[in-house]
Amino acid sequence: MRLQSAPYTELDCGVGGSPRSVVAVHLLFPLTLLALLLPAIATAQVGRHVSDILDVGAQAIGVVTRESPAIQGRALTEGYLTQPAIMAELDPWSELLSLKWTLNLEGATLKRGELNAGIAGEGYIDRRHPHTYLHELVLTSAKRFGSDAVSGASITLGKGFAPFGTDDPMARPFEKYPINHHLAQILERAVAIGALRTGGLIFEGAAFNGDEPTGPGDTPNRNRYWDSWSGRITYVPWPQGEFQTSYARVKSPENPTGGGADQRKQSASIRLEDVQHSGYALFEWAHTGDYVGSTRTFAFTSLLAETWARYDQLSGALRIERTERPDEQRLVDAFRTPIPATDLSIAGRSRWTIVTARAAVSLVNSRSFTMEPFVEVARADVSPTLRPSGFDPRQFYGSDRIWSVSVGARLAFGMSHMRMGRYGVAATRKPNAKVGGMKMEDM
Amino acid sequence: MRFAILICAILTLACGSDNPVTPVPGSKDLAVVGAGQVSERYTGEIWVQGNVAYTTTWGFRSAPGNAVKIWDVSGNVPTLIDSLIVPSASTLGDIQASDDGQLLIVATEFSPGSIMIYSLANPVKPQLISRYTTALTDPGVHTAEVQRVNGKLYAFLCIDPGSGSAARLVIVDLTDPAAPTQVFTAAMGSPYVHDVYVRDGILITALWNQGITIWDIGGVGSGTVANPIVLGNVITIAGHAHNVWWFHNALNGEKRYAFVGEEGPGAIGVSAGGDIHVVDVSNFASPREVAFFHVDGAGTHNFSVDESRGILYAAYYNGGVRAIDITGNLSSCADADKAQDGRCDLAKMGRELAHGPNGVGPVYIWGVQLLASRVYASDMLNGIWKLAPVPFPPD
Repeated sequence: MRLQSAPYTELDCGVGGSPRSVVAVHLLFPLTLLALLLPAIATAQVGRHVSDILDVGAQAIGVVTRESPAIQGRALTEGYLTQPAIMAELDPWSELLSLKWTLNLEGATLKRGELNAGIAGEGYIDRRHPHTYLHELVLTSAKRFGSDAVSGASITLGKGFAPFGTDDPMARPFEKYPINHHLAQILERAVAIGALRTGGLIFEGAAFNGDEPTGPGDTPNRNRYWDSWSGRITYVPWPQGEFQTSYARVKSPENPTGGGADQRKQSASIRLEDVQHSGYALFEWAHTGDYVGSTRTFAFTSLLAETWARYDQLSGALRIERTERPDEQRLVDAFRTPIPATDLSIAGRSRWTIVTARAAVSLVNSRSFTMEPFVEVARADVSPTLRPSGFDPRQFYGSDRIWSVSVGARLAFGMSHMRMGRYGVAATRKPNAKVGGMKMEDM
Repeated sequence: MRFAILICAILTLACGSDNPVTPVPGSKDLAVVGAGQVSERYTGEIWVQGNVAYTTTWGFRSAPGNAVKIWDVSGNVPTLIDSLIVPSASTLGDIQASDDGQLLIVATEFSPGSIMIYSLANPVKPQLISRYTTALTDPGVHTAEVQRVNGKLYAFLCIDPGSGSAARLVIVDLTDPAAPTQVFTAAMGSPYVHDVYVRDGILITALWNQGITIWDIGGVGSGTVANPIVLGNVITIAGHAHNVWWFHNALNGEKRYAFVGEEGPGAIGVSAGGDIHVVDVSNFASPREVAFFHVDGAGTHNFSVDESRGILYAAYYNGGVRAIDITGNLSSCADADKAQDGRCDLAKMGRELAHGPNGVGPVYIWGVQLLASRVYASDMLNGIWKLAPVPFPPD
């Protein structure tokens, strides 16, 4: 591995920024405290075991990442408090009406974005954007029928994930996101979802707003509600196996007022997990076509395979990804792109092949507290797919190969981390099962 | 045999470019006189005055698009004299000198949006007079059209939409270039206002999916620069109205046609889309599209018109520069030269006279300007081209 000299080193703990950041971080502590205390309060009030109706938790990852070269031949070393989130699920009436809520505090801790070579979206490029504070808030009503206890129907309304693609990367083994995030998931939208499950088959359909968030405090534009739709079919031949294919039509996602290019998205995946939750694998294909009217202008494809295994306290994971991304005009801060773009053109399209390996050890793993130090190493190879190109990776980065090393620890309190991206009967679990798939603390 | 055909078809699809440009039969060569190379930045717009050319820069190549290149174009080969670096800018999309040649105006994007106002007392050493930037010029000034109306010099600024703000037009009085003053602003465009055209007290705004709108700013009624009054609007076919040239035909005095550039999707260096739309504006209240010009595999950008000879020079990105005969009646043509919707197809009518540069490898032409019997073109990939116009031969 070749790491270039680092004339440029800085740490960003996210607390020294704008007054807004400071205020938000000050909110983090009491909210976390509240999350820890809520189960006890609920237990006392309801008189039943709290985990039957309310599950609350919080997590955050402290990480230092070194990327070489990050930009213009320079290596960067930065530190973050990333993926800070508080989550709650309230299900007082056995799925008749349940609430799911995720507060994401990256807007306070990750304002400048997190180094993540190749990733692009929501005005950030080569840095992952912070998610919106209100990551999820959905109400779901489900009715089970049949003797198998999994068949049923549900409706979901609120802000969250559209039924498309695979689980959110935050609920998967790696700290660094795959760069296909905007090809493979549609999230933080005002959604109305209907789901039907019959045995091993799950059908979902949804309407939502097409516009992507433009900042952590952004909310879905009311005049864009329900202008986009998606559908997903999932086959669950056995409890730990899952095959899905999905399709979406998204209106003008990158121009919040409308009038930008539309997207037609496709996804297919296979997800496997052993019964003991000690091994997992995901194979994913995602494709997004940009359309002006009925004419396709650009297309971007992603292939991804990742696997994870645990042995006692140790775990390891490997991800291989090959994803095409649009290269867009950059701002004075070269890690940013204009929102919206000034027209329908792109500077280029690059293909990224990224291999990421992870090792972790679970030092503390109890119901109430998890601490898991980890290290991740990634090698990204990038090349333009269009020639001549308005984006030449070698010219821009100083190399067509980028190394990244991340060292950190995940801290989690309270509830087990659920899978993210499915609601009601579409969540592939049996009613009252406390964990759908892997536990986050096992990763 | 079928297998071989299939393999050939797959290879053709796999290896062909996304949007190949088809040569137009009968179109002659705009011969190259000379070229000036820019390799560290992508080149943007061009403005030529006397023996000096100014080119802007765009985006981020190995250096950011914050430079104005100053060229000596007195000889056949443009020679780089100097560069101006504009602080706090990542793209300088537009550049223009005032009609008296005293001021040079440069539009800046991302962020802050602004215009840089330079003195051209020494044309090869522009001196900064002021930088005009307000909350309303954020996040970027996409274009800045500099024109005189009733004796006063104005800059018409097309402002990019932001994540929470609509695109808008800002008109600035440049009477005192050290202290420009805003005289008008309004949100317009869906979702963009990319460019305007100002002449004879008429303002024409290119409003993307809203087509073009014609305003009176003192030309025909009670409208003023501070209070433009809408006269008419037309949504051009396919929208994406990007730029306008209102053609004053010097041969017969006619002012019948406005040419509207459609900026479709493109990938720099490789592909572009969008036609030239010909709008009959003889009645400002009811403009109507009567013809178009299309190049397979390429899309248009900015224009320059030789009004004395009736030739439109259009930057066509990967299609180079296209010289089009715009004399005569453009709304009347043989049935065979019409599109299904009845518009005349200028390409089918054989009105493309010439194109270039040819045989020089890939080009991506942003802007074009005719001056003193030469055609100057800015090329995002290569820099600047000096071409012989139709039908002048190279020196």
